[in-house]
Amino acid sequence: MTLTSATDVAVRVDGLVLRYGRTTALDGVSVTLGAGVTGLLGPNGAGKTTLLRVVATAIRPDSGAVSAFGHDALSGPGRLAVRRRLGYLPQDPGFHPSFTAFEFVDYVAILKELTSRSARHAEVRRVLDLVGLDAQRGKRIRALSGGMRQRVALAAALVGDPALLILDEPTVGLDPEQRMRFRELFAELAEDRAVLLSTHQTEDVMSLCRVVVVLDQGRVRFSGAPLELAGLAAGRVWTSDTRAPGALASWRTGTGAYRNVGDPPAGASLLSPTIEDGYLTLVDLRSTEGQR
Amino acid sequence: MTTWHVPDDDLRAYAGRGLGPPLLWSTETHLFSCDSCRERLASLVPVDTGWTQLDAALDAPRPGPVERLLVGLRVPDHTARLLTATPALRLSWLAAVGVTLVLTALLAQAVTPVVFLGAAPLVTLAGVAVSFGPGVDPTHEITVTSPVHAFRLLLLRCVAVLSANTLLSAAATLFMPGHGLTIAGWFLPSLALTVATLLLSPRLGASWAAVLVGALWVLAVVWAGMLPFSTAGQLSLLAAAAALSVLLVRRAAVFDVLPTRRLR
Repeated sequence: MTLTSATDVAVRVDGLVLRYGRTTALDGVSVTLGAGVTGLLGPNGAGKTTLLRVVATAIRPDSGAVSAFGHDALSGPGRLAVRRRLGYLPQDPGFHPSFTAFEFVDYVAILKELTSRSARHAEVRRVLDLVGLDAQRGKRIRALSGGMRQRVALAAALVGDPALLILDEPTVGLDPEQRMRFRELFAELAEDRAVLLSTHQTEDVMSLCRVVVVLDQGRVRFSGAPLELAGLAAGRVWTSDTRAPGALASWRTGTGAYRNVGDPPAGASLLSPTIEDGYLTLVDLRSTEGQR
Repeated sequence: MTTWHVPDDDLRAYAGRGLGPPLLWSTETHLFSCDSCRERLASLVPVDTGWTQLDAALDAPRPGPVERLLVGLRVPDHTARLLTATPALRLSWLAAVGVTLVLTALLAQAVTPVVFLGAAPLVTLAGVAVSFGPGVDPTHEITVTSPVHAFRLLLLRCVAVLSANTLLSAAATLFMPGHGLTIAGWFLPSLALTVATLLLSPRLGASWAAVLVGALWVLAVVWAGMLPFSTAGQLSLLAAAAALSVLLVRRAAVFDVLPTRRLR
């Protein structure tokens, strides 16, 4: 299934609850994914990886529903149908260290049911070229840098041209140039497929995502366009010559002036908010609610 | 001197390694004696194609000796690759298993056959423990979310490990002559212990499950001596292996996802 419009729903998650013992990792999470990149933001331990694992059919929730491309992803046949359309880059992709980059991606291609040797090898070369590793195909994974390993793992996720890509912090360990290349690649890939991207990089969210979901303590705190998230901090970001003591965050920028997020004093010189400011504001609203 | 020459299409197919016997043989024979066809052949092989083929040949995974053996035994190349990703089917592991079993057999021959009968299933158990599961297989999370059913892969690997260990154990018993069929008494415990380990692995993890099952087996052998290897003991082990196998198949779906209790 190819997604032709941003309104086509690829994945629908409804009321997910998942507990690890006494810890509630997901507490009634509902989201929908269409064509384009959906960014998932949130502090460590917010439940991002758990949500990604549920959508990727790696774990079962305690309750709730997940459907993808019209299939019930929690039933046996539906799970298989989803897996046939899925590319998944886990947060900690493991490698057989003695494998070369080619051998690893070839191994994943076998797992994805590409049994014809010549077709499989052609696909492996295609995805390694796509992530810019054509010259490193024959190198052992243990000899590759962290960034290159991440690209190998991404190549493995891209095998079979999946309609749903789930990427858990794919830009960790990449230098700025590599991140830029990844952004270009994700933007291109997301034209006709759904990409769910978990990240701590707000720049990635701003530049790539059609929708951003903020998850905290297992709950969806925000879902909307990145500009709407930034808009939460409208009128709450200002510049000053000295540190603002009551601000949520206050730091000296390269110009020597302080950038502050919080409740501005009267007559403050306001700045345009960024998505990071919006995120900080959201986190503050949450703590204010928690104190009530 | 012949006036016949290899047609262009056949030469192209030959250059692309697409020509099969018997045309291949006649073409090669002709090329050996015909300068004109050899020159045409050189002009028909695009340089890019040659480089591409060379490039592909250099990249292609090089199967190890065990993988080559499996392919030689008509196991499909993709299945052989999935199987040999486990350390328990690498040549170094199998060599270590072979040496361990032979030394154990020599010791058992000098002391008591119980030493070998009790130890051989533990060696198999170690192979199973390193074959599959989170914390053991570095690609387990990717495997679980792939269309290849994780339970099928688990069974394939266990059958391969069991088979390899069965062959090596059988070979090692050659160093223990004079015990008759009793000396094959390690097989059913190997089977029962393997299935018990697989059943416990979603809860405990493969390594701890193997340690627990192995420890219980050692205690049983120390306590009961040759009893598990008597006819009654073997029938009991067969029944246990069968019952546990039924339970395992019923719980196959558990292996289809990551065990959440181990993700806390």
